[in-house]
Amino acid sequence: MSTLRNVAFVGFAQLPVVARDEHRMATEMLYPVVVDALRQVGASRDDIDYQVSASTDYMDGRPFGFVAALDVMGSWPARQDLHLEMDGSFAAYYAWVKIQTGEVDTAIVCTHGKTSEGEPERVFNLQLEPYYHAPIGIGPTASAALQASAYMARTGTTDADLAARAARNRAAGVGNSDNQVRDAASAQQLQGSPWAIEPLRSGYVPPIGETATCLVMAAEGKAEKLCDRPVWIQGVDHRAELQTLGSRDLTRSAGTALAAKKALAMANVGSARDVDLVELLSVTPVEELILLDALGLDAAASTPVVNPSGGPLCAHPIMSTGSIRLGEAFRQLSGRAGDRGVAGAKRAIAHGAQGHCLQQNIVWVLGTEKRWA
Amino acid sequence: MNETEPPKDPVRYIDSNVYLPYHYVAGDYRAKYLRALKDKKILGSKCSKTGKVFVMPIVNSPESFAPCDEFVEVADRGIVTTFCIVNIPVIGRSLEIPYVAASVALDGADISIFALIQEIKAEDARMGMRVEAVWKPDGERQGDHEDILHFRPTGEPDAPMESFIHRL
Amino acid sequence: MKRPTAVVGVGQTQHAARRADLSIPGLIREAVDRALLDAGLGHDDIDAIVIGKAPDMLEGIAQPEQFLVGALGGHMKPVIRVHTAGSVGASTAIAAMTHVASGLYDRILTVAFEKQSEGNAMWALSPNMPFTPPLVAGAGGFFAPYCRAYIQKTGCPPHIGPVTAANARANGARNPYAHLREPMSVEDVMNSPVLWDPIRYGETCPSSDGAIALVIANEETAKKGPRKPAWIKGAASYAEAMWVPGRDQVSPSAGKICAKHVYEQAGIQDPWNDIQTAEIYVPFAWFEAMWLENLGFCDEGEGWKIIDRGEQKFGAHLPINPSGGVLCSNPIGASGMLRLGEAALQVMGRAGEHQVDGVRNALGHAYGGGAQYFAMWVVGTEL
Repeated sequence: MSTLRNVAFVGFAQLPVVARDEHRMATEMLYPVVVDALRQVGASRDDIDYQVSASTDYMDGRPFGFVAALDVMGSWPARQDLHLEMDGSFAAYYAWVKIQTGEVDTAIVCTHGKTSEGEPERVFNLQLEPYYHAPIGIGPTASAALQASAYMARTGTTDADLAARAARNRAAGVGNSDNQVRDAASAQQLQGSPWAIEPLRSGYVPPIGETATCLVMAAEGKAEKLCDRPVWIQGVDHRAELQTLGSRDLTRSAGTALAAKKALAMANVGSARDVDLVELLSVTPVEELILLDALGLDAAASTPVVNPSGGPLCAHPIMSTGSIRLGEAFRQLSGRAGDRGVAGAKRAIAHGAQGHCLQQNIVWVLGTEKRWA
Repeated sequence: MNETEPPKDPVRYIDSNVYLPYHYVAGDYRAKYLRALKDKKILGSKCSKTGKVFVMPIVNSPESFAPCDEFVEVADRGIVTTFCIVNIPVIGRSLEIPYVAASVALDGADISIFALIQEIKAEDARMGMRVEAVWKPDGERQGDHEDILHFRPTGEPDAPMESFIHRL
Repeated sequence: MKRPTAVVGVGQTQHAARRADLSIPGLIREAVDRALLDAGLGHDDIDAIVIGKAPDMLEGIAQPEQFLVGALGGHMKPVIRVHTAGSVGASTAIAAMTHVASGLYDRILTVAFEKQSEGNAMWALSPNMPFTPPLVAGAGGFFAPYCRAYIQKTGCPPHIGPVTAANARANGARNPYAHLREPMSVEDVMNSPVLWDPIRYGETCPSSDGAIALVIANEETAKKGPRKPAWIKGAASYAEAMWVPGRDQVSPSAGKICAKHVYEQAGIQDPWNDIQTAEIYVPFAWFEAMWLENLGFCDEGEGWKIIDRGEQKFGAHLPINPSGGVLCSNPIGASGMLRLGEAALQVMGRAGEHQVDGVRNALGHAYGGGAQYFAMWVVGTEL
């Protein structure tokens, strides 16, 4: 494994996730978050070399909606910039790649988008191949339910199992003031909730929220100046699979398994069991089980701790959710996670995903120590 | 329909109509601006660092990166800094063509707005022309964009190019 | 840390108003298959896919790269989707190059496309932005006022737009892939209807279906052949805010800053003489004069004179858009990569009938947004 530049997450800011922010447009929500992120690291906008933003036009309900983000990200004088039509975790990946070239040392990675302005089930139905899939009218919850059905049939996982997983996330999410859902719920209560789309109950799927986020990344040499406890990227990889629902085994996330294998190898970490916590972009308990499986983790084990933040079940601002997984891992490893901190945590896995039935996955291995000497 | 035989011609196209409802938030800044139009006031937001004024109001000045947290009133008249004459229709719009779409630098504002110029023959439009807002009559204004019907020439002498060429 | 990179394969589609013979996956495959064949590589040689396109409303599919993973050969590979408005094709190619320059990847397949005949392009580009008066009528309606300002400021005579447009068509006639290839005289342009004064129909880009794919690779792959590569000597993508008081929308600073950065990287000190041809993003004829200035080929106010003297024609000192440019083919998402890809073809000596003689360095350029996004590269025959 060749030597790479050590790059760290040095700051993370977000607005608390809410169902609908009645006071601000999507890009207006981003401004205070960028200001906060820069304040955290003690930098001015001019100190940051690179910017990447992530959002989707269809969720914004307007083409070119992301252009307005340039103003609130401080794009004056002109900045080296890129925008991806992807979840924030992938934007952070590109920033990492850019920093590896040595052309830049620092970057901000921003996400924005008001899910409340559109109807996500309809909007994301349009992600599907337009001839056979989209006309069926399935949205992401329906496709997740298809995946859940298949998974439960293969593994014998029961409704009660899903309720227990969901309850665990809800309990973890109680103390996290950035979550949209902050009340605990028992497995019994969740199992008693009506079907959203069978076999997924409404208690197993999150309400959709909105926020804005900003991650700050920096290379070795700068990172230490911007953060007392930088969280180093030790390994990372991402993979896409075919979208066609009938063409892949929906009960397994082959992409996550491959991405994890490569990320762990880059990090020189034997297995996911060697990390202290994982933050998964698991929108439902079934996705959580599939992802744990793909990571080679035993769902029944108590370590690593899974979704100490409460996970996406407590806050799912679509397209920002991946950035929040990174942000939570950053908070955990830099000692900024308060009461939900996993004691003595030195390594974490942060996962990101997008597309129906976990079509694209990214796995990050993060740690308190630099990977390369 | 005969289910037993394949169609004689292969299927070449499918029509797919997309229907997506969106329910947008104006945001406090835009809402304040729109409501003030009811009172024939045009508001801008002022940069807390440089004092520059932005119409329509924005939350921060990208130049200074400082917040714009104060609202000030600007004039309802200004200069056409540049313009074009539109000759083609757009789906869903009822403006009579040709029409003059102009960049107007209102007196007191540091950026320009895009506005419709009427009460003029399209070919008489000029850069530097002074214009004023034509408001909907009292009692008819609702606090939305249509409260300003359009801008029209005031008849004052044109502004010299140096005064607006940097305010396009 | 930053490793040398090169374009080792180029493949583009036959651009047309409507490619009714292909679906979107088919359009992509036409470009991808040609690029891989050109590079002498197979899908197994490709480490990752970087794909770009303009607003998804143009085809009515959200994030279409997701259903296109198969057509891209992207199954179980990293796939990244870029979207930077009109400049997207170029910023996508540059993002792909960055992947290789980082040392993390050896060979990237990068694709840009648009099949806008499948949607309603005019509607998709004229959004009724909420809480904003609906005035802008297409991209032309937005840019026409700044073309007017350029004409006023510089005293540019009225024939420059038509001359530029006629010349673009003459170039398109030499490019078998171009959408518009029929010659058009200066008189034809002058007689065409005015769409957004001062922009005429004849000075306006078409709406096209099209795609282009490039294979960008590391030094080792590039030196192995089979083709002479186009070395990427400098590349950057920049963006600037909209609401800056006094922002120059005729010669935006982001364009100047981006060009300066790229020229410095590429060792270009005198663009007019160090660069032998340039593919620049001209969707409306007047922009050619404006960009010649913004890109430092001449002093401010002098761009139109280059056109007046015919110095940008094919065979003259600095042929601009020998492919015919955006005025001949505009599949919006692809146009930026077409500029960068055509620049590469020129350096590789493979532009066929529209090959410029003696090219050592070529510039590929694109812009987008309210003239806020700029992405460009300089490719050369030598590392």
